[in-house]
Amino acid sequence: MREISLHIMDLMENSIRAKARTIKLTITESLTENIYKVSIEDDGVGMSADYVAHLFDPYTTTRSTRKIGLGLPLIKMNTRQAGGDTTVESQPGQGTTLSFWYAHNHWDRPPLGDMGGTMAMLAATNEDKRITYRHITEKGEYTFDTAEIKKALDNMSINNYDIIKYLKEMINENLSEIEAGE
Amino acid sequence: MTVQDLVDKLNLKVLSGADGIGGKIAGCHVSDLISDVVGNAKEGDAWITLQSHRNIVAAALLKKLSCIILVNGIEPSAQARSMSNNENIPILSTQSTTFETTGLIYNLLSDKL
Repeated sequence: MREISLHIMDLMENSIRAKARTIKLTITESLTENIYKVSIEDDGVGMSADYVAHLFDPYTTTRSTRKIGLGLPLIKMNTRQAGGDTTVESQPGQGTTLSFWYAHNHWDRPPLGDMGGTMAMLAATNEDKRITYRHITEKGEYTFDTAEIKKALDNMSINNYDIIKYLKEMINENLSEIEAGE
Repeated sequence: MTVQDLVDKLNLKVLSGADGIGGKIAGCHVSDLISDVVGNAKEGDAWITLQSHRNIVAAALLKKLSCIILVNGIEPSAQARSMSNNENIPILSTQSTTFETTGLIYNLLSDKL
């Protein structure tokens, strides 16, 4: 995948398939620590230690039981090639925290991509979930929270073309204010 | 051979950076890993890739490459396009695959390598 936002879309859909009710996404960019880190924390069904141990092996993952797609071995490879790594912590019934990171200054770190579009789409198609997205850069931070959006919309549905478009632009504008993804 | 010659011979589309089209092509580098290009490409190389984000122009600029050729009809990002215009590094496009494009350029350059 060419952009980090596409990995995020894939991984958050895994959380949704794992019956998560809340999903917290955090992206931290730091030039001083030379890190570009993405964390996704969910309260879904979680995975056993044995399952987690085999997550990164593309040959033992079985479609019938897996809660994570084949994208994960690829993300691990990409992050390791770009000065980072990928980790998963999970317990059955406790949810899953997945983190992947890159060296900020590495040539092979992919661009962030369209986070506004990604988050607006996820929010609109999963209105029963609470999804938060916090993005921290050295210029500041921005938090998108579907609970706040729902309140502001007075429980009107997000799944509407004009609202999705508005959210996408709003998120991308807020991200450019803190120079996210630059 | 100049970038313009290559455009004519392979019927490539010039997507951006047209001011650099008179540059000389010294050789060719084929890679989709940007760190590999930064490590191993040589000055004047034409670079064949399917990467399309703005780092391709930064890598080409750093290594003084003659042009970037995007295969499979891939379009560069808006940022890559505007950087390429600012830096006069041509981004060219072909519908052909990496294999086909590499073969054609190899034939054009092989007597000079």
